[in-house]
Amino acid sequence: MIEVDQLRKSFGDLNAVDGVSFTAARGEIFGLLGPNGAGKTTTIGCICGLLQPSSGHVRVNGHDAVRQGPAARRALGVAPQEISLYEDLSAAENLAYWGGAQGMRQPALGERMRAVLELTGLEDRAREPVKLFSGGMKRRLNFACGIIHQPKVLLLDEPTAGVDPQSRVRLLELVRAQARAGACVLYTTHYMEEAEALCDRLAIVDHGRIIAAGTLTELRAMLAERDLLRLSGSFPLDACKAALSHVDGVELLQADSDLLILSLPEASRRLPGIFAALAAAGAEVRETTLTQPSLESLFIKLTGKELRE
Amino acid sequence: MRFIWISVRKDWIRVRRDPFSLLTSLAIPLILAVMMSLVFGRGQAVPQGRLLVADEDSTLASNLLLGGFNREPLNKMLVLENVSQADGRARINRGDGSALLIIPTGFQAALVGNHPFQLQLFTNPSQRILPQIVEQSLSIMVDGAFYAQQLAGPQFRALDKVQAPPDSLIASVSVAFNHLAQSLQRYLNPPVMALETAAAADPDASPRQSFAATFLPSMIFMGLLLIASSMAQDIWRERLMGTLRRLAVSPAPLSGFLAGRLVFVAMVFALMAMAGLVASHTLAAVPVANLPAAVLWLTFAGTALFLMMLVVTLTASTARAASVMGNLIVFPLAMLGGCFFPFAWMPAWMARIGRLTPNGWAITQFQAILSGEIDARRLAVAVAVLTAVGAVMFVLAMRRLRLRFLV
Repeated sequence: MIEVDQLRKSFGDLNAVDGVSFTAARGEIFGLLGPNGAGKTTTIGCICGLLQPSSGHVRVNGHDAVRQGPAARRALGVAPQEISLYEDLSAAENLAYWGGAQGMRQPALGERMRAVLELTGLEDRAREPVKLFSGGMKRRLNFACGIIHQPKVLLLDEPTAGVDPQSRVRLLELVRAQARAGACVLYTTHYMEEAEALCDRLAIVDHGRIIAAGTLTELRAMLAERDLLRLSGSFPLDACKAALSHVDGVELLQADSDLLILSLPEASRRLPGIFAALAAAGAEVRETTLTQPSLESLFIKLTGKELRE
Repeated sequence: MRFIWISVRKDWIRVRRDPFSLLTSLAIPLILAVMMSLVFGRGQAVPQGRLLVADEDSTLASNLLLGGFNREPLNKMLVLENVSQADGRARINRGDGSALLIIPTGFQAALVGNHPFQLQLFTNPSQRILPQIVEQSLSIMVDGAFYAQQLAGPQFRALDKVQAPPDSLIASVSVAFNHLAQSLQRYLNPPVMALETAAAADPDASPRQSFAATFLPSMIFMGLLLIASSMAQDIWRERLMGTLRRLAVSPAPLSGFLAGRLVFVAMVFALMAMAGLVASHTLAAVPVANLPAAVLWLTFAGTALFLMMLVVTLTASTARAASVMGNLIVFPLAMLGGCFFPFAWMPAWMARIGRLTPNGWAITQFQAILSGEIDARRLAVAVAVLTAVGAVMFVLAMRRLRLRFLV
């Protein structure tokens, strides 16, 4: 359904997307995971035809996104990162307009509007102007406008950004329902837990490149069951690095004067040894966080930085 | 085609929900038009002055004389105010009033006795027209009194001799007046002189227009220009709302969106033109020789101005820049192109330049339509020119929208 092959997009000297390739199939939720500025939105822009790729190919439902733009766009549904609604119009009027833009006609449009309003829990507020909606309701309507025409390919660009937990749970359930109904969903986010809970396959993107891709199990395997140990405090760097180099199996991922991030197997059992080595090096540890293997720890392992930076 | 109407409906709902964004554009010309109409009135301007009268005679004859000033058209130009002689002199010395007329005691006695008598008229030198009107009118009335005395002197004298005339005297005087009227009937009814008047047309003179007829077309075009600018700015609101981007990734053509906006804008201008012209005609007596042609012209001209402003707006790099650019273009155009001041009020050289601006050219054609001076062929050519300009602007706007504005 989505085929991206060696996609590149440059803005002047900046390579926003640099050789990205992946495929996503029918009924699958494919996640693009990365920090802000990693190139996720630019990739989506190229897929939906808003941006012209500098090189590479994008195919949507078998149609080239550039040369067969209208055919490709007919298969697409998009929920943009920014809420893209007419605030003066009601929810029903927004749905009617965007359904009309997709070529839908009555009575099918009316039936679909009722179904989508019910799905998103907005049927009671359908006649109210959108400007009176809460942020979470606007997000749900933003999503509803993207699925009004039952698209075969759904592009969701951080659809839960800034919403309350209840709306987030509801939105995630809606996304799963779309995939169950047979849509191919491309989902971008920088929330690890969302990606872990939702996506069948994932690609981790940084600086416009895919640095890891696979199922959640495959990605976790890349960590080799290593825990992530995060230490805050005061660290004489050279002395600490020398001390930790003598501790078996410890990999130093990030080292600052106030923060150390280590990767090591069975961290909880080996904590006393680590503290002793650091104390001998003159360090003062004020806070310790131990994380089990996760996408976040994988991301830190791969990029040397935290995802939300 | 279907998406065009979907877009029109959407724009209509948006304006209905928030009409103030559109109405604020009309506020400036509307306030100006109302204020100017209140100041200058709806028809030809008529000067009005105050005639101070010190009637020290207070007789039937003096009342008859002053009654002449209460007849049309003098009563529309002059308000009579009775004063004492001292007060009247003090006021006219202050310049308070157009003239002071003093009718000394003995006016009626002198009239019936056919004795020489002097009325005193003091005029205000700071006023030019009204004191002259008073002077000329008084001169005519005095002449009239002289002829009346010549014709009915014995009857006047009979009445003047007694304080309370008996019924028999009134009856005999009435009979005498009746005989006098019958003897003069063949001169008075019908008049022995037939006056035929013909006004020679001055080929160089432009037809005189009321203030409203001169000013309101400018106000209507100012409204048109401001609404065109405001509606063009809405493309930035659409961009900031993200709706343009969402539309760009849908199968609906951008040309359909823009055409829908154009149809909606034309509808707004047609409604505005209809309301403005009907109001101008009924409230301010602005002559509208051909209402359908005037509405058609305002609709086409407004839509072309909208497209022109849209191209300007799409060239800007930010919404704020678009707003500044729009104002930089709209206000000089309005000033020079006859939207703030009619061409008739401008120096000739400025009016010549102003008529070359897009709105100046459109106003000139509009005034010709209002006065009925434009024929169908010339109107068709002008509409064709507007359509061609509009088509070029549409293509430019589409190109800009597709290639630069959305990215």
